[in-house]
Amino acid sequence: MLWVDKYRPKTLDKVMVHEDVAQNLKKLVTEQDCPHLLFYGPSGSGKKTLIMALLRQMFGAAADKVKVENKTWKVDAGSRTIDLELTTLSSTHHVEMNPSDAGFQDRYIVQEIIKEMAKNRPIDTKGKKGFKVLVLNEVDKLSREAQHSLRRTMEKYSASCRLILCCNSSSKVTEAIRSRCLNVRINAPTEEQIVKVLEFIGKKEGLQLPPGFAARVAEKSNRSLRRAILSFETCRVQQYPFTSNQAIPPMDWEEYVSVIASDIMKEQSPKRLFQVRGKLYELLINCIPPEMILKRLLAELLKKLDAELKHEVCHWAAYYEHRMRLGQKAIFHLEAFVAKFMSIYKEFLIATFG
Amino acid sequence: MKQHDKGNGSVSKPAKPASTEKVSPAKSQPEKPVQGGQENSDRRKTSKYFDKKKPEDEKVEALVKRKPGKGNEKPLDVETPPSKKLQKAEDDDGDDDFVLPKSNKGSAGATPNKKLKSGSGRGIAQKLKVEGSDEEKDDGDEDIETPRKPAGRGRGGRGGSAGPAGGRGRGGSGRGGFMNFGERKDPPHKGEKEVPEGDPDCLAGLTFVISGTLDSLEREEAEDLIKRLGGRVTGSVSKKTNYLLCDEDIGGRKSAKAKELGTAFLTEDGLFDMIHASKVAKAPVKNEVKKSSDKIVTQIPRESPQKVDIKKQVSNSSAKGAASKGSALSPSKRKDQSLTSSLTWTEKYRPKVPNDIVGNQSLVKQLHDWLAHWNEQFLHTGQKGKGKRQNDSSAKKAVLLSGTPGIGKTTSAKLVCQMLGFQAIEVNASDSRGKADAKILKGISGSTANSIKELVSNEALGANMDRSKHPKTVLIMDEVDGMSAGDRGGVADLIASIKISKIPIICICNDRYSQKLKSLVNYCLLLSYRKPTKQQIAKRLLHVANAEGLQVNEIALEELAERVNGDIRMAINQLQYMSLSMSIIKYDDIRQRLLGSAKDEDISPFTAVDKLFGFNGGKLRMGERIDLSMSDPDLVPLLIQENYINYRPSLAAKDDKRMSLLARAAESIGDGDIFNVQIRRYRQWQLSQSSSLSSSIIPAALLHGQRETLEQGERNFNRFGGWLGKNSTMGKNFRLLENLHVHLLASRESNLGRETLRVDSLTLLLKRLTNPLRLLPKDEAVQQVVELMDIYSISQEDFDTIVELSKFQGKPDPLDGIQPAVKAALTKAYKQGSSSRAVRSADLITLPGNKKAPKKRIAAILEPVDGGLEVENGNASADIEDDEENSSDTEDTEDAANGGETLRLDLQTDSSKGIQVEIEPKSSGNSSAKKLSAGRGRGGSSAAEKKGGGRGSGAAAAKRKR
Repeated sequence: MLWVDKYRPKTLDKVMVHEDVAQNLKKLVTEQDCPHLLFYGPSGSGKKTLIMALLRQMFGAAADKVKVENKTWKVDAGSRTIDLELTTLSSTHHVEMNPSDAGFQDRYIVQEIIKEMAKNRPIDTKGKKGFKVLVLNEVDKLSREAQHSLRRTMEKYSASCRLILCCNSSSKVTEAIRSRCLNVRINAPTEEQIVKVLEFIGKKEGLQLPPGFAARVAEKSNRSLRRAILSFETCRVQQYPFTSNQAIPPMDWEEYVSVIASDIMKEQSPKRLFQVRGKLYELLINCIPPEMILKRLLAELLKKLDAELKHEVCHWAAYYEHRMRLGQKAIFHLEAFVAKFMSIYKEFLIATFG
Repeated sequence: MKQHDKGNGSVSKPAKPASTEKVSPAKSQPEKPVQGGQENSDRRKTSKYFDKKKPEDEKVEALVKRKPGKGNEKPLDVETPPSKKLQKAEDDDGDDDFVLPKSNKGSAGATPNKKLKSGSGRGIAQKLKVEGSDEEKDDGDEDIETPRKPAGRGRGGRGGSAGPAGGRGRGGSGRGGFMNFGERKDPPHKGEKEVPEGDPDCLAGLTFVISGTLDSLEREEAEDLIKRLGGRVTGSVSKKTNYLLCDEDIGGRKSAKAKELGTAFLTEDGLFDMIHASKVAKAPVKNEVKKSSDKIVTQIPRESPQKVDIKKQVSNSSAKGAASKGSALSPSKRKDQSLTSSLTWTEKYRPKVPNDIVGNQSLVKQLHDWLAHWNEQFLHTGQKGKGKRQNDSSAKKAVLLSGTPGIGKTTSAKLVCQMLGFQAIEVNASDSRGKADAKILKGISGSTANSIKELVSNEALGANMDRSKHPKTVLIMDEVDGMSAGDRGGVADLIASIKISKIPIICICNDRYSQKLKSLVNYCLLLSYRKPTKQQIAKRLLHVANAEGLQVNEIALEELAERVNGDIRMAINQLQYMSLSMSIIKYDDIRQRLLGSAKDEDISPFTAVDKLFGFNGGKLRMGERIDLSMSDPDLVPLLIQENYINYRPSLAAKDDKRMSLLARAAESIGDGDIFNVQIRRYRQWQLSQSSSLSSSIIPAALLHGQRETLEQGERNFNRFGGWLGKNSTMGKNFRLLENLHVHLLASRESNLGRETLRVDSLTLLLKRLTNPLRLLPKDEAVQQVVELMDIYSISQEDFDTIVELSKFQGKPDPLDGIQPAVKAALTKAYKQGSSSRAVRSADLITLPGNKKAPKKRIAAILEPVDGGLEVENGNASADIEDDEENSSDTEDTEDAANGGETLRLDLQTDSSKGIQVEIEPKSSGNSSAKKLSAGRGRGGSSAAEKKGGGRGSGAAAAKRKR
């Protein structure tokens, strides 16, 4: 088993990083009731882990007995019925899903599922009316319409159903939803915390850690605990015993993005733009989310860029990321960014060096 | 515009090699005077004309006074004083004579001629000796011209560097060779020459074939010019061809054929001269040329009476032959046509005998034969036994005429019936309120099918009676493809009618391949009408025009026939409309009138993109651009996006500017994408113009120019939009990733999101799966990998997915360095394991887009479930208790066996249980305590299930899915 899964804290008590949050959550659910929750924070900070631990706290081990299902919902959308398929992960007490997978029909998913949840209302051991929990992942990717319909149903069915929403950025969740939830911000762990976790794992696995090695892994991880643990294990697979100056292998796609970045910096010509397009396609085909490509590309470019251009380039990156969300064909916008960068950079080079 | 430069041209200094100069006189002044002495005065005059319009206009007026008939029409053409013209005309004549024989010699001979032609054909040597002053001026031309036309200049320069003797000819032939495998280039001196306007009929009776690139005219322009002046343009060289119009001999098929047939070659300048000649000849020395022009003019009037006579005869005879209601047209009526114009021409000139039908004569014959023999074949009342066997196999009881609208299907059906003495009953199937007979009218109140049935059976009765006295009937079902719009099963009903019918049925449709007619086709004899050729239509139209007293020449009518795309009805309608406002219809009128409807239909996205990006893409009108980009609003933007990088924009000569143009274009394409989302997702169709503007027109406007290749060995054509393919690959990969994701989730070991799985974990997973295979000894490695795969329920397909998603172009394959033997061993080991392995929950999940049936073994397990489902709800609690015991037992043993590492899911095969696949909570450490809590949890849940049937319904749902 991968270490990320092996050493995932199973209960709120065992959480190593966000102890304070965990304790608060524990207090919150001892009454067997809780408000809607919205977890947000960067990836790899432990949102999912906390949610799972929280569910276990609420329902005991039954929450672990999940089954994966691929359900089809027949939705009556006015004139026609739509068939929607979605994979859900459900126990008797909760359903977890990723409604944004349904694309722009996500709002039907949101409405249907909540209705279904409200219909089958469980009764807890003490004979009280219980409630079910609906875990929605990637809420920030939901379309505006879905979020609006979510807002209404959240109130309507709040007697039988609690929502736990999980997303990276709360700014993409509408105000209305945020105000109906208890917002829980999960910060990215600090590097010290990551080091602590890594050392803990090292001890459990019985590994010899050279001094400073864990710190380097943590530094490379960009404050994502998951990534830190993953690359820690990658190092282990790559080479053991560790040496203090061992290279920490980057992610395959990040490596590729940095190749693209250096391509762009080396030459700004239509021909190069064309080649870059091919490489961007390659990334997209391999299922790398375009936003991450753009972000990573920007970071790689900024590394090599003259200070005076940084501002402008960041501005354009943000501009094109926004447009990417508005549009549909990510490659168009990625390419537009690259073209823009090339144009700016070329002008700059000519202005500076003639 | 050249002439305009000429006036101040002499100021600038000569800087260019002599060769380029030779280019400019030729192209700039098709009618350069010969004598040096007169040259200057002549120049001044032309320049004066272009510089200040006033004096020249006065002159024009003067000329108009002198010859009112002429000057009126083309004031622009009056460039030189009449006396000059006379001389010129002679020159030109001589010129033509000179050119024609020479050009036959072949490409080498032909090229210099072109350029000398205007210089009255004195030969190369003489040309080189042109006076210095002349050269100076020409230089001036070039220099002044350059800032305005970078493209033209570049070409000129290239031609010059080819060598002093080669001149344009050489440059041209070089291009010609290149052109052979590319698309046709733009004319090198596009728009630089003034197109002469000549006598409207000066080319009458001549047939031209155009080959290769002309010097200044586009192919279409040249065609247009010739047609306007009464000439005929055909596609290939034949004996009738008078001239092959080409500026550079590229040795294609046309020129070879022309040489073989001895067809005269003609350059563009030669053509212009011919036109000029006709023009000039008319003005001052009328009597000289009058004969020829008269000949042309009189030709038409002379022709028309003849035709009218024929027409009269025809109509007379047809009137006699036709037994139907009084024919609207009799020869005498033509005179007072204004009175009878209540009848549209389409009705008025509907063919009266089958031979009148334009085109498709063989089909009409076929129809005739079919109908004539119908009775013998199917109503074998007279000779029994004999007829039936004879042609059963091929014979069909009904016939289906198909073809585009307006080519005479209905007409021919009616005429044939009429000729054979059948009584035609027309049922206009799409709407039955038509002009049906009384017999039909009774049935009309019901559905069409009713009336048909009635009709068919009625006739059956009639047939049994004395058939000779009873009029024979034919049912014409018009527009059958529009039939089932109203009532369902209309076609099926028709087929039934055909089967029982005692009368022939003629079905008529536009689209034979329509889905609705698929079944009908089997019961019918298929006759597909083709569009008549334009000559056929034109002939018929001329007939009509003459009958109506319209003056039209054949070329114009052919153009009309071409524009209406074979639809005779529409052509006649257009003709009638035009006759309301004019009595003489010229080529230009038709062109103008039908400009909108012209050539709309067959623009492929590639052609559209070519045009948008083409050299003169910048000169297109906005409407044209929108039309082009709308020709396929989905595909054109994709093609544009795919190819815009390849164009070297004519707006920016330097590369740095090009980059910023590219950036602007790319942004605009992004805009288009955003528009597209608004349109598709929120149905904001009013944005479609903005969408095509930003996705196609703006990028094309910024970047139009010459296409260049970016990769070695790439063909210089627009590629097909790559997005579609990439997007579908992406979709496929996402599906595979989703499979992997679901399997991981089902293994209950991980609860990653799909994205995080790809972005963060895949690298490690790949390493964990492949590294051991590379480094460790075979058996150990295989065991380790299979173990990991089992933990995470990774199937072999998932393994492939992981590898596939980690492949990047230009990077080593992730499977490199793994021995094939090891791979084979892994496959074997995995397969072996899977036979002993408990069914994993992952196998039971149907995935979207993954519709294959579950494996046999699983299917067998699932089998008994159907019956046992109700039982479950009944004795749920007890069963569950039992099962719990079972499962924990199995888990215990397994834990013992695998050291608590391997995940086992217990599939409860107990028939009373349904297809619950559950996974016990993972307990690596203190399993006893855990199990206790698990038991408690389950108790609670089972209670809940009993009440709500939650689990049962879930299982049922799951089953339904399969």
